[in-house]
Amino acid sequence: MSSFNSIKWKHYANYIAVAAFTIVFAVLSLVGGLKTSDIYMLEKIAIAIMLAVSLSMVVGFLGELSLGHAGFMCVGAYLGGKTAAVLEPLLGEVPTLLISLLVGGAVAAIFGVIIGLPALRLRGDYLAIVTLAFGEIVRTVFMNSSSESFGGSLGLPTPRFDKNFLFIIAFVLVLGCLAVTQNLIRSKHGRAITSIRDNEIAARATGINVTKYKLIVFTVSSFFAGIAGVLYSYSNFTIQSTNFSYNYSIEILVMVVLGGMGSINGSIIAATLITFLDVKLQTILTGNLAVLQDLFYALILILIVIYNNAPALKGFREAHNFKNLFNKFKKHSPEHIHDDEAKWDRVPTKINMDEVLSVDIQVSSPYTPDKTDKEDK
Amino acid sequence: MKKIAKFISVVMALCLVACCFTGCGSNYTAENTEFVIGVSGPLTGAAAVYGVAVQNSAQMAVDEINAAGGLNGVKFKLIATDDTHDATKVAANYATMLESGMQASLGTVTTAPGLEYTKLSAEDNVFFLTPSASGDKIPANDNGFQMCFADGNQGKVAADYVNTLGIDQIGIFYKSDDAYSNGIYEQFKDNLDSSIKTVEAVFTDANATDFSSQITSLKECTFIFMPIYYTPAAVFMTQAKDIIAKDAVYYGCDGFDGLAGQFEDFSIIPQEVSMLSHFDSNATEGAAADFIKKYTDKFGTDTLNQFGASAYDCVYAIYNAMKAAIDAGEKIDVTISASDLCDILKEQFTGDFTYSGVTGNDIAWEDNGYVAKEAVKYTLKTANSAN
Amino acid sequence: MKFIETLINGLSMGSTYAMIALGYTMVYGIAKMLNFAHGDVIMVGGYMIFVTMASLGNPILGLLAAVVFCVALGVTIEKIAYKPLRGASPLAVLITAIGVSYLLQSTAQIIFGSAPKMVNVADLGNVKFAGLTVPVYILVTLGCSMVIMLVLSVFVKYTKTGRAMIAVSEDKGAAQLMGINVNKIIMITFAIGSALAAFAGFFMLMKSPSLNNTLGAMPGIKAFTAAVIGGIGSIPGAMLGGMLMGVVEAISLTIPAIAPYTDAIEFLILIVILLVRPTGILGKKRREKV
Repeated sequence: MSSFNSIKWKHYANYIAVAAFTIVFAVLSLVGGLKTSDIYMLEKIAIAIMLAVSLSMVVGFLGELSLGHAGFMCVGAYLGGKTAAVLEPLLGEVPTLLISLLVGGAVAAIFGVIIGLPALRLRGDYLAIVTLAFGEIVRTVFMNSSSESFGGSLGLPTPRFDKNFLFIIAFVLVLGCLAVTQNLIRSKHGRAITSIRDNEIAARATGINVTKYKLIVFTVSSFFAGIAGVLYSYSNFTIQSTNFSYNYSIEILVMVVLGGMGSINGSIIAATLITFLDVKLQTILTGNLAVLQDLFYALILILIVIYNNAPALKGFREAHNFKNLFNKFKKHSPEHIHDDEAKWDRVPTKINMDEVLSVDIQVSSPYTPDKTDKEDK
Repeated sequence: MKKIAKFISVVMALCLVACCFTGCGSNYTAENTEFVIGVSGPLTGAAAVYGVAVQNSAQMAVDEINAAGGLNGVKFKLIATDDTHDATKVAANYATMLESGMQASLGTVTTAPGLEYTKLSAEDNVFFLTPSASGDKIPANDNGFQMCFADGNQGKVAADYVNTLGIDQIGIFYKSDDAYSNGIYEQFKDNLDSSIKTVEAVFTDANATDFSSQITSLKECTFIFMPIYYTPAAVFMTQAKDIIAKDAVYYGCDGFDGLAGQFEDFSIIPQEVSMLSHFDSNATEGAAADFIKKYTDKFGTDTLNQFGASAYDCVYAIYNAMKAAIDAGEKIDVTISASDLCDILKEQFTGDFTYSGVTGNDIAWEDNGYVAKEAVKYTLKTANSAN
Repeated sequence: MKFIETLINGLSMGSTYAMIALGYTMVYGIAKMLNFAHGDVIMVGGYMIFVTMASLGNPILGLLAAVVFCVALGVTIEKIAYKPLRGASPLAVLITAIGVSYLLQSTAQIIFGSAPKMVNVADLGNVKFAGLTVPVYILVTLGCSMVIMLVLSVFVKYTKTGRAMIAVSEDKGAAQLMGINVNKIIMITFAIGSALAAFAGFFMLMKSPSLNNTLGAMPGIKAFTAAVIGGIGSIPGAMLGGMLMGVVEAISLTIPAIAPYTDAIEFLILIVILLVRPTGILGKKRREKV
């Protein structure tokens, strides 16, 4: 019993939640209680979670802005999809799935290293634009491939996995992705990575091998983007490179930012909700109402970001938020522990190095990242 | 133990959420009170003008049919979903429409999402007659039919025409990342006499605004084949009007339709503009003129193009085929399942059924789903003789 | 001969990119944010020209109306969407900028419909010299952008407000202590950026009469790339980057073998330049401080 109680359940909460979610829907799907449209949505949610969690490593933990995540996904989708299309008649469905997942992930990881290398030299927005450029280059190359190799503008026909099982596989892979990312982040390597985010020069001064860690993060992140790409290719009959434009990268970035930088759970929740919102807006607002989709999406996006981040609304935020709402019901719980994840609005990213540096003499701004972080501890 | 309770409560909550998702069984049409026709097209985004044209025209046809009493008293209903020309959004649209009771459909408006739709609908055996998804692979399965000409056929017919002209050099201007444009281009090249030299220029951005480089490349050509949609074509022609020879000919495919509406005064373009198509939005007589009048009275000229005309015909073709099937003794009631209706319609469309409407007379369909109708060369504008 | 024509085409494309890039670069230099909605302000300017042309028929009035409206729009966006986030993470501002971009696009579609509008701003004809045929609008675009860049450089260097801008971009806190109203300066920057966007919209319509709600998206990204190539935050850098992009695009489009890869080539050049000079061609190198 004591060993049972000594497990830090909090650390496993998200595995359990995702696993429970998966089991519930898997059972529902097997007894025929799920609508096809929900199955398609679950596939999309799983892919979105994987993308958001993997991007969260780069943006939230390493503190580098990447606008090319869809590019890694594109590489994974095309290579994995091609492997699947070639191997499926030879090996059957399941071995093909495993091999193409590996191929897609591995090739994307190699590209991650290639893009990680300039990342060592570039900072902030410059890195962001290089990753964006990389994504667009990859997309253009696949777009102009010959129809025999990668399908070109007509798209690459890929095998679609049985829709009753694909989302289960996808969620199992999400669990795997969570396990790798969380263990990496919570290990001593993870501390090193977050220290690079918080202050690269200080991290370097304490003997942390910045080069190595940046490359590790880029590789792992793009590996999972590649896996997500393979899943994507399995969830479509044809993959078209137009779908991997920078807009898609931005969509993933929105999930990470809304979920809270440096919070994996936040990324999971935001990815789920945004995908849900997206699909629901798309399928509910039909006909003449379709033009309202983007309007609603944009308004929701702007309002959430302003509510979450505006320094002027800080008091309001603290008075009205979910935690308070729950606390009212909970009364007083001695076990209540503040989660030790970084408060993302206080996390400085490298983009605003100048601002971070000059901020301590800015009279009107309550934004003092370094101090508040310390006060918390 | 508290932890376990917490865990169980989470799972319970999830189950509750999951229960919201569950729907009825697989028989979605059981509660239909109208025949439901679905279509997925770009209602927003860069290609929205095509999707909106289809939605408007199909709705117009449905309204007309309903006003005339429907099919044996049963009315029709149209569901138009938005895919923004993005193939990944089609699955959700398709499933949602099916769950809303869709019995027959117009497929998708554009080719790229259509490839996805073809496979999805084949799994469930749902009939579709697409107004404008012209990809060669769209009717790959026996449940799919096209109202427009397939790209490959258009390319071939266009090449055959060009071969008869006896010119030794032509220009080709196409959108290299577009399935429609590329599909026509490839077949055109394959069928073109090898003695004819070609000068090629491409563009990729759907909203490209500056074609000066491409115009410079094509400057010496007196015949330019342009398998592209009309919006970039209008931009090209405006920018090229003084640079390309005044007696040159622009020759396009059905995507050209709607071009004239892009100009306040089409005569500012000195060159000849013609196209190979099934509908001319400047028609002044026949069924096409009637359609144009009805459409512009309701929706204005902004979105008038062959996509709409074709969609209007699609709805009527499905309606006529259902009527013909009933006359032949088939039983079609309002709750008929999509798959049963598909079998009936397939039999009609591959049989003797023909349809005459806005985009052609005595339209028939081949067994492989391609349309068999006459492609007409429309001269949208003759060369200005002033120079 | 053909090459020279291509070059002139490239310079004219480049000057439009440069105009947009100037807006990007000024806003970035002073507000330290990537204004992803900048491209859509161009589109709004285009629609404004369309509306004025339809009612009054004069392109110059159209341009004026567009400038006034875009400035008002830019300032309003800044007030409502970006100012509340001053002091928050720059990523939050990036996301609202994306939200604003979606908002402008869908509003334009709701108001003006999905069909592209044709606006014939002015037909200026061609000039011929030394065997070259050059459309006049290309020369007008080139000339205007040069003038605007010069005016902007002079404004920033020699006026009080301009110098205040430099101060704010160097160090916001110190500028504030020196008595500069930072909020006002940022507002002025947005106003100038939006006015430039209106000009860019005018030049784009002069070239191509087709106007729809995603008009500004791709030029926006290309101009952003141009601004980074030139060194983001630098006015001559934006001009240089824009011209370089335009010329590369024009040359690449005339070579059939690589024409489909034009976008990729532009982005590849960006990567190569950033690898050689990590802060762009004319970008200032900043020393890191702890």
